Amino acid sequence: MIEAGRRSFNRIALAPSLVVLAAVAGLPALYLLVVSLTPFQLANPGSSSDFSAPLRNYALLPGDPRFINSLLVQARLSFWSVLLQVILGTGLALLLNVKSRMVEFARTFFLIPMVLPPIEVAVIWKLVYTPDISPLYYAASLLHVTLPALTSDVSFALWSIIIADTWEWLPFTFLMVLAALQTIPDEYAGAAKVDGANPVQIFLYVTLPFITPILIVSAMFRLIDSVKAFPLIFLLTQGGPGDVTEVTNYYAYLLAFDNNEIGYSGAVTVVMLLLVSAVSLGVLWMGRRREALA
Amino acid sequence: MQGARSHHSLTAVSRRKVLKASAAALSMAAFPLPAIAQSKPFSGVTLHAASFQHRFFTLLQGYIPEFEERTGMKVDLQLSAFPVYNQQANLELSSGGSAFDVVNVTFILAARWVAAGLLANLDEFTSDPNLTPPEWNPKDFVDGAQVPYRDAKGSTYGYSWEGGAMLMGLSRMDLMEKKGLKVPTTFAELQQVCAEINGTDNVSGLVSFQLHHWCLPPYVQGFGGNIFRNPPADIMPALNTPQAIQGLEYYANLLKNDAPRGVLTYTEDQARQSLLTGRSNIFIHSSAWVTPILLSPDSKVKDTSRVVRMPAGPVHDYPASNSQGLGIPKNAKNKKAAWEFIKWALSPEISLRLVKEHGHSSVCRRSVITSEEYRKLNTVNGQDLGAMYLEVLELPAKGDNYMAYRTVKEFPIVGDVINKAVEQTVTGQLTASAALAAAQEQAVANLRRAGSAL
Amino acid sequence: MSVRPSGQASVRRRIAVVLTLLILLLPFLWLLQMSFKTNDQILQFPPPLIFTPTLENYSALWHSAFSQSFVNSLLSASFSTLLALLFGVPGAYALSRWSGRGKGSLRFVILVTRMAPPIAFTIPFFLFYRWIGLLDTVTGLVLVYTSFNLPLVIWMMQPFFETVPASLEEAALVDGASARVIFTRIMLPMVTPGIAATAILCFLYAWNDFFFALILTRTAARTAPVAVVNFMNYEGWEWGKIAAGGSLVMAPVLVFSLAVRRYLVSGLTAGAVKG
Repeated sequence: MIEAGRRSFNRIALAPSLVVLAAVAGLPALYLLVVSLTPFQLANPGSSSDFSAPLRNYALLPGDPRFINSLLVQARLSFWSVLLQVILGTGLALLLNVKSRMVEFARTFFLIPMVLPPIEVAVIWKLVYTPDISPLYYAASLLHVTLPALTSDVSFALWSIIIADTWEWLPFTFLMVLAALQTIPDEYAGAAKVDGANPVQIFLYVTLPFITPILIVSAMFRLIDSVKAFPLIFLLTQGGPGDVTEVTNYYAYLLAFDNNEIGYSGAVTVVMLLLVSAVSLGVLWMGRRREALA
Repeated sequence: MQGARSHHSLTAVSRRKVLKASAAALSMAAFPLPAIAQSKPFSGVTLHAASFQHRFFTLLQGYIPEFEERTGMKVDLQLSAFPVYNQQANLELSSGGSAFDVVNVTFILAARWVAAGLLANLDEFTSDPNLTPPEWNPKDFVDGAQVPYRDAKGSTYGYSWEGGAMLMGLSRMDLMEKKGLKVPTTFAELQQVCAEINGTDNVSGLVSFQLHHWCLPPYVQGFGGNIFRNPPADIMPALNTPQAIQGLEYYANLLKNDAPRGVLTYTEDQARQSLLTGRSNIFIHSSAWVTPILLSPDSKVKDTSRVVRMPAGPVHDYPASNSQGLGIPKNAKNKKAAWEFIKWALSPEISLRLVKEHGHSSVCRRSVITSEEYRKLNTVNGQDLGAMYLEVLELPAKGDNYMAYRTVKEFPIVGDVINKAVEQTVTGQLTASAALAAAQEQAVANLRRAGSAL
Repeated sequence: MSVRPSGQASVRRRIAVVLTLLILLLPFLWLLQMSFKTNDQILQFPPPLIFTPTLENYSALWHSAFSQSFVNSLLSASFSTLLALLFGVPGAYALSRWSGRGKGSLRFVILVTRMAPPIAFTIPFFLFYRWIGLLDTVTGLVLVYTSFNLPLVIWMMQPFFETVPASLEEAALVDGASARVIFTRIMLPMVTPGIAATAILCFLYAWNDFFFALILTRTAARTAPVAVVNFMNYEGWEWGKIAAGGSLVMAPVLVFSLAVRRYLVSGLTAGAVKG
């Protein structure tokens, strides 16, 4: 009797959430899938219900050099920014891993880049990369070094995005690694020291094995999130020069909102979603493994 | 008793009548305005107009209260940043929306909107004498500026508020005289002047900005090429012809060697700034962006500036010419009110006032441009800017309509591809011929994917 | 790692921390100082490091349409947070007590929803909103933000409910309390810190959004992040206003996130990792 009452309460409690989720995530996803099967172009009436060649968009994808390029650019962006975020985040965590009131107080300020609105971060870095008003260029001119205009230089444009992105998300890996470091029992390091290990050895043989799972998980989360890169590219390079900074997300945006090719853009987005889902599955699987082993 | 009651009721009725009448009279006396307001033609209407931020609209906003007073309508003019406005307006119109009654038809979107039938045909309004008095004279608008807003049959879908006639501004005649250089009139001379001035006194030979698909075609056409094979009839892209490659090589060399660092991401505003402060010598762009060196109080180079026609190519002399216009979306809710607004904003009176009161000269009415006051205000240091502006603006309508490439609905897709090709060539990623070969392939593929029959 | 008494770090370390912090925050600090300069001072080269600060950018902002966009941001973020909590907290409780199948796939769906790029959902939202007239309305934004904060609430709150021992509920049940009473009188008070942290995270996500606001609003419901971009206009970039607007947009976010720093990691990984 009691169980029945509880179960009905649970159902009532969960139902609205499920309905909202289905409406808000399920329906648009379905729409996306359906529209990717049509050559829907906003200015072409009738194209939204043209199912004569449903796989046309997907067939065009491999032959679209801009799409392939966007995947490569995305891969480069994700690889480097995740790598830098993990390495620098770990370094930062090691630096701040002390029990000190002052350091703990300072810790909160390290979070600032991560909590700023992403478009804000883009504005800040736009300032840094604009030769006329940037302290970076001023400093360079003082040192008699002529810096190229970073965001319009082929070799540096993607790096300018990587640096800005790393600056923004460094606090994330920093927090994750710090939390992990703080769970390492002090005795381990103490015992290693007694055995005569130097700090580097302590790090390699004691710390690193402990935090490796966390490093992997943060890397995976940052990987998934890096697919969403938009404000930085929108404001700093618009995908250029040429298309060296045109990631898949930005290409899909241009297709949909500049060319109004909704159908084709949908196909590109579906591919992105599949990639995101694959990595998300990996994250969940890793999480369950850790729980099982813990 | 009965008689008394009926007498009462009679007086009651008449008392009520009197009360009603006096109440009505009182209310009329207390609230006279509604009666007057009802006589205004558009009272109660709110007009939704949208555009990107531009001096023209900022100045117009100063005059709008008079307009609202006269017509009774409320004008809600929303101005947004250039890329934000274009994207929102394009999305709105392409999806058949009716949020706006009056829209700015940005030149990069004009062809697409007109060809896709997203704008209302304005001939219906201009041909109706009840809606448009003959003095308004639609033919007073410079023909070259109206071309983008006409469809293949010649109907008009927009009226221009801003003309973009490509002129060349030189800000450092002092340096040129010191080096014994004359004002260049051919492409070869232009290259020479830019190379010689570049680096002198920290000045760049040439400055440009990021809208490459506007800056490049005059050079391509100057060498005899074109963007499409024969627009508007034949819209097969012609990006990989030898003349096009020549044009790209020429322009890319200028940007690579004689322009400021980061010029590829320069906005028009940054380029103008560079010119006004004398940090760059030559800027070739619409007159409104070039003439400030002579007319603007911010100009630091007034005495060393000249504005002339841009140099001619070996085959053709085709300076680019465009315009921005006002139009009415097909599904707008208040079309009559919208026309009333456009009629007013582009009337000869308002155009002349903008010139006289604010020195805003890039209007498109011939009668205003050739008027005495205009001449007086726009002749500086002996240079008749108005005449040059009109000359270039009229060019596409005289004889060969070389600006036809810009007014076909396929242009935005091809323009996008051109932008990439220029960036790739200037940054050295590809040679001009490789970049254009790739651009041609991309353009054809994209056009086919978007449904064009090529 | 150190044999010092806790509460003290070596001087070298402290200096290193402060130095690193300053270097890291330099771009952010540059934006801040720019907001107190006039446009002329900003364009000066070399940039003056010592100058008389002015509040003209901020006052110009306050008297322009920017203040409306600030209010829009405030409204849309607050209401969507309330709604997300209203639906999500009971949902999280139900999920934590659910022993049925499908729990794993639900978690997967929730994760993907949070991780998918916004463009996946914007076109259908745009067309739907256009159809029912919710474009450029604060209500429309509230609905969008609610729907994306709802999964976050469920993810964040579920572990909190799971840490409440079942014995408490059992005892109350034996005493004859109904499920509803158990939820409101016993469970909710125990997870209040979680609710507070989740609320602030929801507010943060809604406040920081750019893409949805860009596509789904015009001018009436424009939010602060989009309004800042609007200062980059055709005739020239108003750097002073951009910097001031940027600083204002950051303010609530900074204040709130510093308050919930402990739960930030959990929220950012949709709860998959405890912070």
